[in-house]
Amino acid sequence: MTQELRLPWDDDPDDLYEHAPCGYLTTLPDGTIVKVNQTFLAWTGYTRGELVGHRRFRDLLSSGGQIYHETHYAPLLRMQDEVNELAFDVVCSDKTTLPTLVNSVLARGPAKEPRAIRTTVFNATDRRSYEQELLAARKRAEDSERRIQVLQQIVADLAAAPTEAEVAEAVVRAPEPAFGAASSSIYLVDADRDLIIAVASTDPTTGNWDDMPRSSKRAVARVAERGDLHVVGSVGEARQHFPDLVDNMRRSGRNTVVLLPLTTGPTDENTGTETLGVLAFSFTGERKLSDAELRVVRLLGQQAGQALDRARLYDDGRRREERAAFLAETTRCLDEMHRLNPRARRLIDRVVPEIADWAVLSLSIGNGIHEEAGGSPPDADLLAQAQHRATVASVPSFPPPGDPLGCVVLPLTARGRVLGTLSVRMAPDRRGAAAERAFLIDLADRAGLALENARLYEQERETARTLQRSLLAADLPKGDIRFAVDTHYQAAGLDLEVGGDWFDAFLINKDRLVVAVGDVVGRGIDAATTMGQLRSAIRALAGDAVGPARLLQGLDRFVERVETARMATVAYAEVDLNTGELTYACAGHLPPLLQAPLGLPEFLLQARSAPLGSRAGDTRRTEHRLRLPPGSRLLLYTDGLIERRTRPIDQGFEVLSREFARRRDAPLPGLTAGLADLLVGRDHADDVCLLCLSLGSEERIERSLGADRQQIALLRADLRAWLVAHGIEPECRDAVLLACSEAVANAIEHGYRDDPFGVIDVVATVTGDAVEVRVADKGTWRGASTDVARGRGLQLIRESMDQVLFDRSSGTTVIMRRSLEAQ
Amino acid sequence: MTDQWVTFSNFGDAALVRLTGEIDLANAGDIGRAIVNRVNEAGKVLIDLTTVSFLDSAGVRLLDALVGDLLVHGTRTRLVVGERGAARMTLQLCAFREDILTTDLERAAADLK
Repeated sequence: MTQELRLPWDDDPDDLYEHAPCGYLTTLPDGTIVKVNQTFLAWTGYTRGELVGHRRFRDLLSSGGQIYHETHYAPLLRMQDEVNELAFDVVCSDKTTLPTLVNSVLARGPAKEPRAIRTTVFNATDRRSYEQELLAARKRAEDSERRIQVLQQIVADLAAAPTEAEVAEAVVRAPEPAFGAASSSIYLVDADRDLIIAVASTDPTTGNWDDMPRSSKRAVARVAERGDLHVVGSVGEARQHFPDLVDNMRRSGRNTVVLLPLTTGPTDENTGTETLGVLAFSFTGERKLSDAELRVVRLLGQQAGQALDRARLYDDGRRREERAAFLAETTRCLDEMHRLNPRARRLIDRVVPEIADWAVLSLSIGNGIHEEAGGSPPDADLLAQAQHRATVASVPSFPPPGDPLGCVVLPLTARGRVLGTLSVRMAPDRRGAAAERAFLIDLADRAGLALENARLYEQERETARTLQRSLLAADLPKGDIRFAVDTHYQAAGLDLEVGGDWFDAFLINKDRLVVAVGDVVGRGIDAATTMGQLRSAIRALAGDAVGPARLLQGLDRFVERVETARMATVAYAEVDLNTGELTYACAGHLPPLLQAPLGLPEFLLQARSAPLGSRAGDTRRTEHRLRLPPGSRLLLYTDGLIERRTRPIDQGFEVLSREFARRRDAPLPGLTAGLADLLVGRDHADDVCLLCLSLGSEERIERSLGADRQQIALLRADLRAWLVAHGIEPECRDAVLLACSEAVANAIEHGYRDDPFGVIDVVATVTGDAVEVRVADKGTWRGASTDVARGRGLQLIRESMDQVLFDRSSGTTVIMRRSLEAQ
Repeated sequence: MTDQWVTFSNFGDAALVRLTGEIDLANAGDIGRAIVNRVNEAGKVLIDLTTVSFLDSAGVRLLDALVGDLLVHGTRTRLVVGERGAARMTLQLCAFREDILTTDLERAAADLK
């Protein structure tokens, strides 16, 4: 040991060692304490005897310190012979820890073998607490930064949220990451309905989830009204200020609740701000919010409020746009349908489900129109009352909140008249009631006008139809065995208006027949009226010594005075019934088609000129004559028969000619209808008129009748006229009529006794020397009849006819023949 | 309901039933009931068929039943049918009793005196 200088004041080296401002330890290389000073003992609370020779330095360290001792301290010391400023927590005798900084030196012997470790221990308590202070400050800064980040994220989310619902969703997610809240809920103010509505929550099991009026005493409503942030720090505070929160806080284990109004408007003054909603979030455990946190909370309230405001404006704008588009599309859709019933149906189909979940349209037009769509209709009596009120007052009725009917009833008016009502039930959560009302009134106006137009269309169409029917149904000549006429009129399909096609047949005198078919330009009531005038003009102009050419000239003069008839086309023919001479002319009309008894059909292409009153066309009227052999058929028709969008017109002529030839032997009644059926598609856009004149009467008569007693008399009437036309003697005629009646009665009473819908086919033919009648049913045969009355019927058949044959191979066919020779 | 086919009046002291038009399966039943309701009490009945334009087996059945009932009750009856025509033809074909058929109303009334 070196000689020490003796200090001028009494400073005992032992005392210096013992009470130095640091702890001293001397240990063996294995760490066993061999010497320790008083300072260390005072800091740690151990006695010298507890340590010296009994404990190693590492035994005094905390468990983390012991590991550090093994991994760093001991290896460093052995390699460098010293370590400096290693931090160890020393475990004191009372189990508290003492933060220290440790320097050690390893002393070696002559052979460099480790001999002792000398250690100084500095008390680092103050330094450690300072470090912790620094750490805490850093954590606060980090917390604040995290809150700012959460807030920034939310602000970004809010900016991207176009609807209230999305804003609410973004806001409700904020308090948990930002403040460590346990759950949060958001309520929005519905100013139109004066309600506060709960819209979203991170934990819907907490809190009262009902809508509340804005005047409610509940905490959310109070805060919304005041527009101030409220922190309810404890259950006790809640009991004092907002008793409605107490139960919920208890039940869900919440101790602190924050109620944040979401406001928009100037941020620095309360006047002029509007509360659009309330964000409520709560904490488990009493949570004190720092001033910095409260500032962030307020900021969140303002940001969310502005986002809601923006979303509402955006919602309103989009809704207005949707409504405008809906109205425009509805008007367009309704215009596509001309007729009333389809238009009414389409209106209802537009309304449900697009704007309503149920709707009914009731119109007091005609027999009444009732169109309904959607499920669970409201109470019928209440609806009827509301409809009556709306109709009488001509004022729409909007249901007040909680109204049991719950639907809007709109009167539909046009030209000052209430046509009916449109009642709609809309989804209950629709916002913007005022805008909604304006929209519905607009809808009702448009619907009213569209339906009134359809009604007028319907009325005009009906008038035109009635007029046309009455004109076309005028009596055509019949009962003359020298000719027969069959006609067919088919209105345009696709609900189009009536056209101006017409036919006529009349006798100029008892031996001269006129047949004519024409087409007036245009549609609807004008065309129908013009058609009537033109027909009358032809009847007036036709005469014994006129003929087709002069008649057309007369019509040319006529259309100079009746402008609507200009450019009408006419095929006009006169037939001398005694000689069969045909005289015809066509003014711009399709050529008549003639089928002689022998040979192919032929289009009559002579005597053609321009339509009536044509200014540019050739109106020199000529006529052409040719003789028709008995049994000839002449077909007059309008262009609707052969003009078809999917078929060239020359092909149309070909098909007509072929089909007409194929039906050469078919009975005349129904011939024109059959041709129209075959040549005209179901969706034809034009009306069609056909007239077929047959010279010499039909050889056979075919009728089908239902198993109905009343129909027997109708059959007899047809058969009687046919027999008369063939010049059959009265005695023979009565006998055939009797036999045929009995055979039909037999089929009804017997074959179809169990089948009221059975059909009986009757065919009668006149051959050179006999009349033959076949009566066929598809009924069941029950063996020999035991019915006395029917037996008499069969007897009458046998007595009145020469030959009677029963064929029971399929149903029953009775074939009866009676000779034309006098009996 | 049956007025278009049957009318009732008196001819002298006899009840006169005048049938007209077509009598067939469809209307014979109704006509029969209408006649029975009206001639129950009469002592003499004339049935005029001269304007019947058609008569089928159902019509014959009606007349057969009617005449049979009247005779059973002791009511004297004549049917008036033209010399020819649908009604006479049907009745003849059915071999209806010639003794109660007459060709005019005066003679029929005289028969029942």
